[in-house]
Amino acid sequence: MPRFYGYAGRILRIDLTRERTKVQELEGDLARGFLGGRGLNSKRLYEEVSRHVDPLSPENKLMFSTGPLVGTMFPTASRFNVSAKSPLTGILGDSNAGGHFAAELKFAGYDQVIIEGRSRRPVYIFIDDDEVELRDGSHLSGKDVYEADEAIRREIGDRRIQIAVVGPAAENGVRYAGIYANLMRPAARTGMGTVMASKGVKALAVRGTGSVEVADPGRFEKLVEEVEDEIYSHEQYWPRRRMGTTRILMMANAMGFLPTRHYRSGVFEHAWEVSGERLADEYNVKTRGCFACTIPCSRFYVVRGGRFSGLYGEGPEYEAQGAFTARVGNGDLDLALKAIDMCNRLGLDALTTSECISWAMELYERGFLTREEADGLELSWGNGEAILTLIEKISRREGFGDVLADGSRAAAERLGRGMELTMQVKGLDLIMADPRGLKGFGLGFAVASRGGDHLRSEPFIELSDDPRRGEEMFGIPEATMRLAYRGKGRLVSYFEDWCAVIDSLEVCKNIMENMEILPFERAAEVLEAATGMRMSPEEVRRCGERIVNLERAFNVREGITRRDDCLPRRFREEPLTGGASKGSIFEQEPMLEEYYRERGWNSETGIPERGTLERLGLKHVADELGLPRENPGSEREPKAFKGAGRGRIVCATS
Amino acid sequence: MKRLLVRAESCAGCRFCEMVCSFSHEGRFSPSLSRITVIKEDRFGFDYPIFCRLCESCPPADSCPSRALGRSPEGTLMLDEEACSGCGTCLKACPHTALKIGEASKPIFCDLCGGRPRCVERCPTGALSYEEVEEFDEKPIEALKRLMERWGIHA
Repeated sequence: MPRFYGYAGRILRIDLTRERTKVQELEGDLARGFLGGRGLNSKRLYEEVSRHVDPLSPENKLMFSTGPLVGTMFPTASRFNVSAKSPLTGILGDSNAGGHFAAELKFAGYDQVIIEGRSRRPVYIFIDDDEVELRDGSHLSGKDVYEADEAIRREIGDRRIQIAVVGPAAENGVRYAGIYANLMRPAARTGMGTVMASKGVKALAVRGTGSVEVADPGRFEKLVEEVEDEIYSHEQYWPRRRMGTTRILMMANAMGFLPTRHYRSGVFEHAWEVSGERLADEYNVKTRGCFACTIPCSRFYVVRGGRFSGLYGEGPEYEAQGAFTARVGNGDLDLALKAIDMCNRLGLDALTTSECISWAMELYERGFLTREEADGLELSWGNGEAILTLIEKISRREGFGDVLADGSRAAAERLGRGMELTMQVKGLDLIMADPRGLKGFGLGFAVASRGGDHLRSEPFIELSDDPRRGEEMFGIPEATMRLAYRGKGRLVSYFEDWCAVIDSLEVCKNIMENMEILPFERAAEVLEAATGMRMSPEEVRRCGERIVNLERAFNVREGITRRDDCLPRRFREEPLTGGASKGSIFEQEPMLEEYYRERGWNSETGIPERGTLERLGLKHVADELGLPRENPGSEREPKAFKGAGRGRIVCATS
Repeated sequence: MKRLLVRAESCAGCRFCEMVCSFSHEGRFSPSLSRITVIKEDRFGFDYPIFCRLCESCPPADSCPSRALGRSPEGTLMLDEEACSGCGTCLKACPHTALKIGEASKPIFCDLCGGRPRCVERCPTGALSYEEVEEFDEKPIEALKRLMERWGIHA
């Protein structure tokens, strides 16, 4: 009889400096308090990676976590989180990916792998059930994602292994390099690949032959069947099955929030040419799926004709598709597929890469950047040659590519211009949704614990624009109306808690949250059937809240305050010019006030109140941050921040 | 005879069948204990489930030194647990690599769930079917070549 159900019950520590590995038992109280996956990583990161750690030093720790449902037949339980302090943002770094890697890690018998120190020689790690081996990786240096993956498969001689690998961009120190599983399933954001490469590790190869048991098999099976039925009968089933996330591009365009030419407009005149519909009709040859997914929504495409004839691969997802079309003013779908394929092979985060290029294009257009500075490239909107050349140069940190290789914020600092035009929050470049047309999403960007990104909250319900939903969920009709402000603090904190739970169970947000398949009530039932841990829906939500607060505390310790919860000036001051969101700006202050109130955070500083942390069982965090025992506004100033919140609130980006 | 069939162009490689199979036969989740195994080539977007094809002539049964493998009236393999020594000869003999060694060091293989294959019922994309056919002897490599040609993939 295993001690754990659902969980593997084991944690693997790999100390690269000493070339030693250690297996520990999963701490039961961590499972109960933080569930797994992202929560487990964030908790351990808070405890073990202190304020003074340089993200690219041996002291940073890189953690891979699976969740309690991974490796079962629970639909979409296929994901893993990889976390460390981010070399791109300097705060909490974290990225999540699907595919088949997480399940393999679970079958090998691990809930979490913690990689510490730095190897003296280039290595890749091979986890073969109980055997963990640091294998010579010198012959893999410089190989792209595909080449390295194939070389490792041949060397180990087993095509069933699952591999998470970094590309040359990571090895060259680009600060937004990702970690790639199944060739095209990247944990791409916040530079986790850069951290992995800095430790001398090219890849994690895993083979697992074990099994996962659940606490109540009968109950679990019944819940799985319920979930399956709901997925199959959902209105979003066929559109997702056919187009995956690429179905969003035409919707975003119709609603006027499709970021076009660096967020200058919310409407792209070539939207149809680069749409998910066109991909489905003319390019896609097959559906592919992550482990145990019953939708499945991934697609395999082939380009048949034109300059890039014969190009093939998996994907793309909406963010990358939008990033290399509308965002850079490119109406050529083939070119976008080529750009995305290059990012995949070189191991770059497509979103940050496209923001850097798109930002440079705007500077160029305004005359803030000369052709000379851009290595002679004509940075006009949609110029394919310039786009592909820059991707290559960035990956090699060569010429102007070197300027862009640390993200848009660092590029603006280095050039000494264009900071106001960088579309980032806390150093993480924004995604493909204009917050002026989606207020809740925008608030989510402002407060997200990994910087400007939607996946911490993704209040997808806003796309319904249906006031009845807001009334029924939050008692505020405007909460689910995309252009309204009221109720967004409540909406976003609810969805942040929910996303933290989803990410920690390591199921798919697209299905479980966007399609509303796994609300807290059902999550509690599934968790109990899988693990035997009994929790009320409220307690499950509290796990999410605990994770969000702890991540905030990690960032507060790094110096983050309310000043940093701020969107770029363009959104706050320039109204959208055309389309269905015409005339909208983004007024963040009232929403932020409401959000801090909902969260129980100090509205002047943005720091969680002691009472809030203690209620969540995080008293030691409140102590470490030196939070006062009385109400906010007392004389004692918290240790973790200096002077912010006194008087007028000034935005970090203005 | 009724057999399991696969349409390679429809298999998404999600491996839900592996989970369904191991759970229904063993009460837990493990690809190693599943009677169906999806092989994958991510480079070419290729996924292909492997399982016992109920071949007319069965090399594993023929080669078993202990004569422990026989046939049921439905055509599925049957193991005489007593007679089986766990030597693994059958695994190497199967041209479809459809047998595995299970927990008791004895071979495991598809038993068609007694005539209602659960993998077919639960496959999310309808890639698997259970129908009356003469034979099904497609090799994965043949399917891969066929699809690559059809899709215009030149590697």
